[in-house]
Amino acid sequence: MKQVVVRCQGLCRTYQQGSVPVHALQSVDLEIAEGEFTSLSGPSGSGKSTLLNIIGGLDKFDQGRVSVGGVELGGLRESQLSALRLAKIGFVFQAYNLIPVLSALENVAFILQLQGVGKREQRVRAEQMLADLGLADMLHRRPGELSGGQQQRVAIARAMVTNPVLLLADEPTANLDSQTTAELLSLMRDLNESKGMTIVTATHDPLVIAYTSRQVGLIDGRISSDD
Amino acid sequence: MALAMLLKLSLRNVVLYRRRNAFLLIAISFAVGGVTVSNALIRGWQNDMLEMAVANLTGHIKVQAPGFVDDPSLANSLTLALPPILPGDARLYQGWAARIRLPAVVMSERATRGAQLVGIDPQQEAISFYRDLSIQGRGLAGVEDRSLLIGAALADALETKVDRRVVIMVQGADGRTREMGYRVAGIYDAPGELVEKMFIFTGLEALQQRAAGQRPLISELSIVLHEESNRLSVLQAVQEAYPDTDVRDWQALEPQFAELYNIVDSVMLIWFLLTMTALAFGLVNTLIAAVMERVRELGMLRALGMGRGFVVLQVVIESVCIMSIGVALGLLLGVFGVWLLADGIDLTAFSDGLEGWGIRARLVPLLAVEDLVGYGLMSVLIGFIASFFPARRAVKISPLMAMNR
Ligand SMILES: Nc1ncnc2c1ncn2[C@@H]1O[C@H](COP(=O)(O)OP(=O)(O)OP(=O)(O)O)[C@@H](O)[C@H]1O
Ligand SMILES: [Mg+2]
Repeated sequence: MKQVVVRCQGLCRTYQQGSVPVHALQSVDLEIAEGEFTSLSGPSGSGKSTLLNIIGGLDKFDQGRVSVGGVELGGLRESQLSALRLAKIGFVFQAYNLIPVLSALENVAFILQLQGVGKREQRVRAEQMLADLGLADMLHRRPGELSGGQQQRVAIARAMVTNPVLLLADEPTANLDSQTTAELLSLMRDLNESKGMTIVTATHDPLVIAYTSRQVGLIDGRISSDD
Repeated sequence: MALAMLLKLSLRNVVLYRRRNAFLLIAISFAVGGVTVSNALIRGWQNDMLEMAVANLTGHIKVQAPGFVDDPSLANSLTLALPPILPGDARLYQGWAARIRLPAVVMSERATRGAQLVGIDPQQEAISFYRDLSIQGRGLAGVEDRSLLIGAALADALETKVDRRVVIMVQGADGRTREMGYRVAGIYDAPGELVEKMFIFTGLEALQQRAAGQRPLISELSIVLHEESNRLSVLQAVQEAYPDTDVRDWQALEPQFAELYNIVDSVMLIWFLLTMTALAFGLVNTLIAAVMERVRELGMLRALGMGRGFVVLQVVIESVCIMSIGVALGLLLGVFGVWLLADGIDLTAFSDGLEGWGIRARLVPLLAVEDLVGYGLMSVLIGFIASFFPARRAVKISPLMAMNR
């Protein structure tokens, strides 16, 4: 029996847009087991990012329960959520993933620094991770000197280097061409298959969906399909 | 360790946003440089005040007969063994001078003026403004010189000249008025007319003979130190060494100079705070802009799990870096400015009006290391405090909001 990494029960999130309430999530139930590569897809505004952010401890929710790696998120303070994100979750965002003044190696090592990992170990682990993702020649380049695909690979390296229980990626390929998208996705599938990394990615790109092992569809804040 | 990382990040950001930071650095360095130059000028003025007060026959410390201050006549005079035995290490003292001072009326054929007749030993007067006088005719030869040295302004008023005779009226030690005929040996030029009109010099022993009936009376023993900072301790020691006399320092003898002298530090501080407040507003604004420019990056870092404290620390370190660089440049600029002004600013045009304020005809800036260090550190401290406003901005906004901007 595989461990459940993410469990959402009756999850609701309502935003207030002026005086109009927007129901971004309406009673979402979702379980994601260890080792799954899941896509959240659906039309724009269907609540993909909202769900991903709540699972990542970045957004609040109004009703329901969420647990990640066995930790209940409801009632955690901001600083506790921050510590949880640092310790357990890897993030890859659509853009602005990297610190522009730091090299690829430094960007990856930085997160280990925040975790309090020693200097030498930081370097060894960051180099290893970047090499694993095919960036051995780019260690000392800054983000501005890397292509969009390479930048996203550095972001994945940074997300993976802390050995998180969960990797969350919100439209990581939105700014990439289809060739690069395919490369990045096969890389993510490798991580999923070889290291058993649990990955959840929000997307509306059919190409991305094709790479995932489980496809969850969202419409108007409700789960509409799950295969 | 984490600090080293943040410092590296900060310095690189300073370089990355060099255009904006260059403007900021220029503003900071000009403000700090300006404060440095103005402080040096104010210190120079303060030093002039001290020198003038001390040189103005006052000295750092003066021993007088009790009652002389209220009634400066021969009745209130001292007999001291000369040379005096000054307490403590001889290296504290630059010198001393014994004098008689008498209120006097001077008469020429043309006019009559009030003045002060001062009997001196010209050799001892190397401690007072006497040493710098430029003299037309000749100066006093020694303690037995029976002729007069008068100021140019008084000579004009009396319409007298070198080698002419004048009559001086004083009250003798016996209380009787005495008229004495004198020859004007020299006429001196002092930096200010007040002095020229006030003091008439003659030999100490000659005056003792003529006005004090041969007795070795003196009105005062004036003492000049090498360091103003030793004034209070020496004052106390001299008081103990001469118990039955009235011992005062220049601050008590020249209270108006003392007051000016003592407000200088407040003036400098107020001036600094005014400048720095203006600068701090600019600094806060620019730093807020700087933080907003990086709000996505900072939001991303917080989304990854970087704590608020780290974000605040990062912004603060960056601001302090910028401020420190700016302050260092500013101090260099200030020192350069002071060097340019090293010859002093010529105030001759105003010199008569300014003399009462202790300002010389030439205002020479004086750089004090304590000022450089103190005001430099205070500036960095202000940058440090100012940086908390933008830092707070950076953490008030949620990571999601920051990234979606
Ligand atoms: N901070 C917010 N304030 C108000 N409304 C919000 C906020 N964030 C999201 N919403 C609303 O919630 C709904 C779901 O948004 P969400 O970003 O989750 O959609 P999405 O599926 O990720 O869309 P997209 O494909 O465009 O990224 C939308 O109607 C959106 O307008
Ligand atoms: Mg979205």
